[in-house]
Amino acid sequence: MSAHPSTLAPVQFEPAPEPAFETPPAAPTRRRLRPSHILGGLGLLLLVSLPIPFGDFGFFVGQYGAIYAILGLSVIVVTGYAGLISLMPYSFAGIGAMITAVAMASWGWPMWLAIPLGAVATIPVSILVGITSVRLKTLYLAIATLTFADVLGETFFKWDRITGGETGWLLQRPKLGPIDLTSDATFYVVCIAVVFLLLWMIEGLRTSRLGRAMLAVRDNELEAQALGINVYKTKLVAFVISGLIAGIGGGFLAVLLTSVTRSAFQSPLAQATSLLLVTLVAIGGIDRAIGAFFGAVSLVIQQQIFQGADFFFRFVAVYAALLLILFLMFRPGGMVQVGKIQLDLIRRRPIVGIAIALFFLGLNVGVAWLFLSLSS
Amino acid sequence: MILAGQPVAAVTVFGLSSGAVFGLLALGLVLIYRTTGTLNFSHWAIGILAVVAYAILTGSGVNPQIAVLLSIPVSMGAGVLAYRLVFRRIPRSQHIIVVLISVGLAQLFSSIAAFALGFEQFTRIPAWLPATDYHLFGITFKSVDLITMAAALAIAFGFLIWFRRSQAGRALRAVAQNREAAMLAGIDDVRYSSIAWGMGSGLAAVALLLVLPHSAGDRGGLITTFQVTPFGTLLIPAFGAALIGGLVNLPAALIGGFVFGLSHELLVLAPAPWSNLRGAIAAILIVLLLLMRTERFFASRQEIEALEA
Repeated sequence: MSAHPSTLAPVQFEPAPEPAFETPPAAPTRRRLRPSHILGGLGLLLLVSLPIPFGDFGFFVGQYGAIYAILGLSVIVVTGYAGLISLMPYSFAGIGAMITAVAMASWGWPMWLAIPLGAVATIPVSILVGITSVRLKTLYLAIATLTFADVLGETFFKWDRITGGETGWLLQRPKLGPIDLTSDATFYVVCIAVVFLLLWMIEGLRTSRLGRAMLAVRDNELEAQALGINVYKTKLVAFVISGLIAGIGGGFLAVLLTSVTRSAFQSPLAQATSLLLVTLVAIGGIDRAIGAFFGAVSLVIQQQIFQGADFFFRFVAVYAALLLILFLMFRPGGMVQVGKIQLDLIRRRPIVGIAIALFFLGLNVGVAWLFLSLSS
Repeated sequence: MILAGQPVAAVTVFGLSSGAVFGLLALGLVLIYRTTGTLNFSHWAIGILAVVAYAILTGSGVNPQIAVLLSIPVSMGAGVLAYRLVFRRIPRSQHIIVVLISVGLAQLFSSIAAFALGFEQFTRIPAWLPATDYHLFGITFKSVDLITMAAALAIAFGFLIWFRRSQAGRALRAVAQNREAAMLAGIDDVRYSSIAWGMGSGLAAVALLLVLPHSAGDRGGLITTFQVTPFGTLLIPAFGAALIGGLVNLPAALIGGFVFGLSHELLVLAPAPWSNLRGAIAAILIVLLLLMRTERFFASRQEIEALEA
């Protein structure tokens, strides 16, 4: 040991960057009532019963929200779990919607075959994007997906045989045996059932082997590789799952709207809607499946309910964007994280917790009421 | 295929002028990315704020030329505020959060812009550059195209010289090359990052003010709902132009602007199946550039790692 002592000084490693989101505990605790279960149950009850007093408009809003929750789930898998920023979720939905529409309107397929076909049709594109995502880091991937949406809008969505030209397709809502989907109430219940089936699957994915691999890739790619995770495969699978979910959502969107035109999936509307999806999921909570649900609820409140109140609606867009930035800066877990903190507070100090919750609820409702009364 | 002098020359001039505008937008993007490590998805939305200010000022009777001078600081202020209040407080290593926040800021600024315009489908704004046609060798040149190209190039070159020679430019390059070392040398990191955001946003404002008030020819311009969306129509080619310099090289980004402007306009003259590619050519070029990983030609490995880590 002839080396000068100073050369033997311990090497200072920089600490690993703090991950933005929390990772689930190593062994999932099962059969225990968790805050998310209570919230989910409450949300389900609220959601199923909410549209009834509003009649047809209520059911339309409910279906719309349910479909956006499905589309939001596709963002959760790819961005929340696997940490790959995709700014093109609505283009995947567009593929699903177009294929479902052409299969039902032109080829005469039944709905229960057409929607899965639409979902499967997204696979080639998601594999292509997935392959690119392996080579590109976060920022570059964001640009790439932004432009992929453009490429799809100029190529696939200009294919007249599939997209029906400028006029698009007109669909008939089908009757599946005893289930009459022409009724809004029935279609709403079917949508909610699909949302909760997917929610359950995506939340399960989080604690499965594959989901944990995705979270590991998101938090530190090199570490994940060292643990023997196939990063390439994980990213590809994340994109494929996300594409399938978006395709299902798109298929339901086509059946809901009964008219599909390609201009909704071309630049700049495609990018604007994709952006809306990503932001609403970020408000809801991007790293938990239930976040898509909260995001969709917030979207429905913003977009559909206040649309009539023109004066107020202008403020809502600014308010939502501000809320998103504040959430991302201080609570990156979104409404899910805030709800969890709030529930913890209520459990430890019930009076203070409930008072704070009521205060914020009252603040929002009060301001909304103020603007509504100003606008009328 | 017609290759007469008239269309080729006219289309080339138009391509060069829109290329100069892409170059200006790309310069701003690169400046902000290089100094602060934020890829600014709200670049377009920040620029549109100046156009909205211009629309409001001219609407209330201010002379268009003066309105241009007054509205550029609006964007610069928005950029500086975005850095001071938001991006400074986010650790650079959290890429997902940084990208999502810049996307959210784009949403915020574009909704503010739409709000200020009263959610109109179209807002008519007056032109501020003189409009005359010049006839040279049997070719018609529009003065607006020529002035746009000349102004964009002059501003871009002025900016590049400022960046190379001035004290502030040197400090900015020092921060870009090695943040820690620059701070040790007494360079105020926050101050120069604010300058970068202000300059970059100002460049975006100039680029949009050169284009939008003249979008409807001699009758002035229109701000449509498509332009008030968070990612306006010119942002994708601007990203492409920035990528030609690997998001880090300023002069290459300016040249990249011309590549995208010319390729978009010259495809009008291509034979039938290829001219359909016009809308997608920018996107296709971008995907190719991304896969080529152009940044490795322009920056040392250390710098790239510092930006991406």
